[in-house]
Amino acid sequence: MMLKGRLITVGRAIAFVLLALILCGIVFQLAGYSAKEMFQSIADGAFLNPGAWKNSLRWALPLFITACGVAISFRCGFFNVGAQGQFYLGAIGATFVVDFMAGWPAFVVIPLAFLAGILGGAIWALWPALLRVRSGTDEVITTLMGNFIAGLVLIYVCSGILKDPSGTGQVMASRPVSPAFRISTNSGLSPTIIGIVIVVGVAMWLLVNRTAFGVLSSLAGRNPIMVVWQGAKLSRLGIAGFVLGGALAGLAGTIEVLGPNGRLVSGFLPAHGFTAILIALVASLSITGTAIVSLFFGGLAAASLYLPVLAGLPSAAIDIINAAIALFITARTVPGLARLAARRRASGST
Amino acid sequence: MAPSGAPALECRDVSVSYGPVAALSGVSLRLAPGLIHAVCGQNGAGKTTFARVASGLVRPNRGALFISGQEVATGNVARARAAGVELVHQSFALPPSFTVAEAMEFGAEKGTPIYSRRGLEARWKQHLENLGVRVRLRDRIRDLAVEQQQGVEIARALVAEASVLILDEPTAVLSPTGVEMLFDRLRNLKAGGVTILLILHKIREVLGVADTVTVLRGGKLVEGPLPAGDTTPQRLAHAIVGSAAEQALSGADEAALTGAEGRDLGASVEPVASVPATPAGPVALEIAGASTRADPEGPALADIDLAVGRSEIVGVAGVEGNGQRTLVRMLANLADLQSGRIALAGTDVTRGALAARRGAGLRIIPFERNTEGLSLASSLWENWSARQLLFGPLLKLISPAAWRRDCDLSLKQWDVRYATTTQPAGSLSGGNAQKLILAREVDADASLIIAAQPTRGLDVGATAFVWKSLRAARERGCGVLLISSDLDELFDISDRLIVMLSGRIVAEFRPPYSLSAVGAAMTGAR
Amino acid sequence: MDEFIIATLRYGTPLVYVTLAGVLAQRAGIWNLGLEGLMIVGCCASVLGLVQTGSLLFGLGLAVVLCVLGSILLWFVVEKLRANPIIAGLGLTGLGLGGTDLAVQAIYGSQASVTAPEGLPRLGAIFGPAVGPYGVLSILVVLMPFVVIGLWILLRRTRFGLQLAAAGEHPFAARSVGVSPSRMRLVALSLGGVLCALGGAELALGSLQIFAYGMTAGRGFMGFSAVIFGGGHPIGSSFAALFFSVVGAIGIRAQLMFGDRVPHDLLLALPYVATVAGVWISGRLRGGARAAAVSGELRDY
Repeated sequence: MMLKGRLITVGRAIAFVLLALILCGIVFQLAGYSAKEMFQSIADGAFLNPGAWKNSLRWALPLFITACGVAISFRCGFFNVGAQGQFYLGAIGATFVVDFMAGWPAFVVIPLAFLAGILGGAIWALWPALLRVRSGTDEVITTLMGNFIAGLVLIYVCSGILKDPSGTGQVMASRPVSPAFRISTNSGLSPTIIGIVIVVGVAMWLLVNRTAFGVLSSLAGRNPIMVVWQGAKLSRLGIAGFVLGGALAGLAGTIEVLGPNGRLVSGFLPAHGFTAILIALVASLSITGTAIVSLFFGGLAAASLYLPVLAGLPSAAIDIINAAIALFITARTVPGLARLAARRRASGST
Repeated sequence: MAPSGAPALECRDVSVSYGPVAALSGVSLRLAPGLIHAVCGQNGAGKTTFARVASGLVRPNRGALFISGQEVATGNVARARAAGVELVHQSFALPPSFTVAEAMEFGAEKGTPIYSRRGLEARWKQHLENLGVRVRLRDRIRDLAVEQQQGVEIARALVAEASVLILDEPTAVLSPTGVEMLFDRLRNLKAGGVTILLILHKIREVLGVADTVTVLRGGKLVEGPLPAGDTTPQRLAHAIVGSAAEQALSGADEAALTGAEGRDLGASVEPVASVPATPAGPVALEIAGASTRADPEGPALADIDLAVGRSEIVGVAGVEGNGQRTLVRMLANLADLQSGRIALAGTDVTRGALAARRGAGLRIIPFERNTEGLSLASSLWENWSARQLLFGPLLKLISPAAWRRDCDLSLKQWDVRYATTTQPAGSLSGGNAQKLILAREVDADASLIIAAQPTRGLDVGATAFVWKSLRAARERGCGVLLISSDLDELFDISDRLIVMLSGRIVAEFRPPYSLSAVGAAMTGAR
Repeated sequence: MDEFIIATLRYGTPLVYVTLAGVLAQRAGIWNLGLEGLMIVGCCASVLGLVQTGSLLFGLGLAVVLCVLGSILLWFVVEKLRANPIIAGLGLTGLGLGGTDLAVQAIYGSQASVTAPEGLPRLGAIFGPAVGPYGVLSILVVLMPFVVIGLWILLRRTRFGLQLAAAGEHPFAARSVGVSPSRMRLVALSLGGVLCALGGAELALGSLQIFAYGMTAGRGFMGFSAVIFGGGHPIGSSFAALFFSVVGAIGIRAQLMFGDRVPHDLLLALPYVATVAGVWISGRLRGGARAAAVSGELRDY
């Protein structure tokens, strides 16, 4: 029963992703590209080219962390669609620490940078959570607006306090993170990052599957009224899930800055939050699923850099694939299927 | 009784199935014009489905529908309405934010393309007056009392020239006087030439108003339309329950009524009469002078004094919407208490959160089984373990496998029919879902059980089971507060009965109960 | 003062159009988060249509057709596939942003923006110098109040409006009088598509005569918030949208007046902050309009 249910969930997710890809193929053809060539190049950039998987993994790791956070707040029934803003605030917090504590030893600065990043993301999730719990303010709006505000804050610090004076002015960025504080090279794959990802993954899996918090937050996400009648403090569960989601997004931001990115760039990785939401949804909010699906979307993220540079194709193709998946992934039925079954039953009985 | 001319409504060989369940199978029925017809049967007999087929809301898998002799396409409300069939729903179907005038207009046919508020009110004022519905046209639907709402709903159904009016369980929400008023209204309509089809399950009411009676059982027609004068309550009851089922169920019913020992609950047998009339010792619940603010789900409570003793079942009667929900919400700390005191088993919990009250032994079987009681999309074991998990630390590691085993044992004890503890609660039938709630809420530590409409929508067997469980809890020394709109149920199992009206307790009764006295108290006509 | 009003109207008119689209969808029972994507499609299609054919009408027509098609896609996914409207709406927004990017790249290569040779007809060109400084505003600005009032009449003073509201508030009630809630939603979303096309066209061709990637900058989401702030009422929501625009115009004025002494980027955030405040206030007043709640249980798609 459990296994069968899971297989159905997985099958449905795959079916709707395929449907989305077909829609994308049509769009590509209409726009004057060859859909076949497009998908071939995406597959090359993501997985098939030699070394492509390393690149995909580099993108998958931070995405997995943010997606875990999204999954947890969605499980609690909170539509935290502000992962992007929380990710930015985490990155900003971490950059401040490494920038202002430039002379300090790395073993002090790096943990503090992580703390600042996690706090930054958590704070950017805390205010929508409080507004939602205290006065019923819709968190979809507040977190979306939070994304726009965070984007402007990022531009502000990159062009002001943290600005790299040697920069050309074309793209605003912070001063590069000192090599002593980097936790990986530009490849983004280092034991530190992989270690963090494993720890986060295991901890979140335990939290969701092996604690009362996991069971109760899942109940609350599906039916908050029932949990209230059981005497739970819904607001506390919700704020905890929400803030944890923000903290994880902030952690991912920190990893990007101290790891592969190496500096804060205004407007960097603009699709990170949305992709993380997609990952969580395609994985139907399971942590194990999130780990697997992250690899797929990490591949797409890698391909979106590969396309314009090496294949001469627009990277917007990846945005369209992501969007089309978002459009379909929450679908619950295929029209006509139920009616078809009913008709067959009726004709069988007569 | 040979009908003259074409029947007002005729169904030929109508079958409806929802998934594997057959709701109606091969029902053929002819209803003569100008009469009041009643269709009765138990819950799940297919009455509501029949009403929806006749009004076009449900498309039958098979069968044909004739209105005044003309065949009408099935499953099409607009066609059925054009042919003159209108349906008044069991739970009313008007948008709550609409004004009365808007509620009339949105289903109307002719009229100006653009209206003004005043023009709209002028247009419908006469219509409502003609039907004797006294409401202000500016009032919003959500602010109306149930009787008014029903009046408006009937008026809505008659905005077009309806020739057949179908009412689905119209008496379920009404007080005894309200029922009389409704029947008068229906007789007036009948005098005006409207054919009326009543979906009812109370034999007393059926025989009081209907000209012909039809009985459905298990989706099949078991008793054709026969003149109400030609039948007796016994014969109807027999037809509704069915002879074989009647035998099987009367045993369980008997057990419930006499409080016989629960097979798997280990409760001691104690005759009802020996329960002390005045509760002695620390009472399970004591409410003193409690008043609340107005609540989204009902009127404010004013100055409630109520004690529920250990080993006592106190029934709460009253027309729905007179503060019963507020009372339960106040006890669950979900309504705003303004003044007064609440104590559970001797512990003052006036300021206590619901978690603390549950800690003091409060258990709740809430009004809305599917929203307040269970998370339908979650698994059985998650639903079952919620209460206990909330008592423990949230971040301690737990073993879901162990919880599933415990849940399995408990549900077996409570005779829940299910395949696995990981199936969603939404896959259970109503009776089994209620037993799942009982398995969670009725435990050895309970000191006060609030049972709000615990048997609504359940069949006779499940109802008897719920009664048996509540009685067993009483025998263990637990207090029970039973809120129900079914007076028969209250009379059967309450040791004491209070009546609520407009947020106050207006009367208290002890057995033997008198229907007329309780009914009078419910409507304030004392 | 004139300048301030002009700035407000320039910022606010596109916003009012998408807000009205959101009002239509909300009354039919769908929280439309695809407004942002539809609006950018409206911007892009009107500019590209104009540039490619030289005909303004063709540009507008193309925008309307594409926005209506986009709306129908959303309706199909939400209504027929029973997808979560919030996520599907965000998907539609992504599709609009990505699709317009792809279209521009397909036609013009890696070019940041497309400039149109002409814009929408200006008041100055129609009414002559009598309108004074307001001559720079486009015809759609003048049309806006009429559209607002027209929609108010349609929604609040016709039987169609009542049936639409019933479809959103109590679909079963709508079905009981023979009205198909699904069809009502299709009508509401399609009409909304037309309004989004107009809003997009006004944004791209009203004053700037340019299409740039992501130029809507959250206006669709702000329109969505204006619907919540205005309680779903066409006039109230339009005023909410204008309120956000006033805040935006204040930000622009402050930049002009104080120059570099105020942080330019943070001033740009003012409308977003105002939006949060607006939704927060309406939450306090009405106990919270919950877009996420109406969508039911996301977990179990």
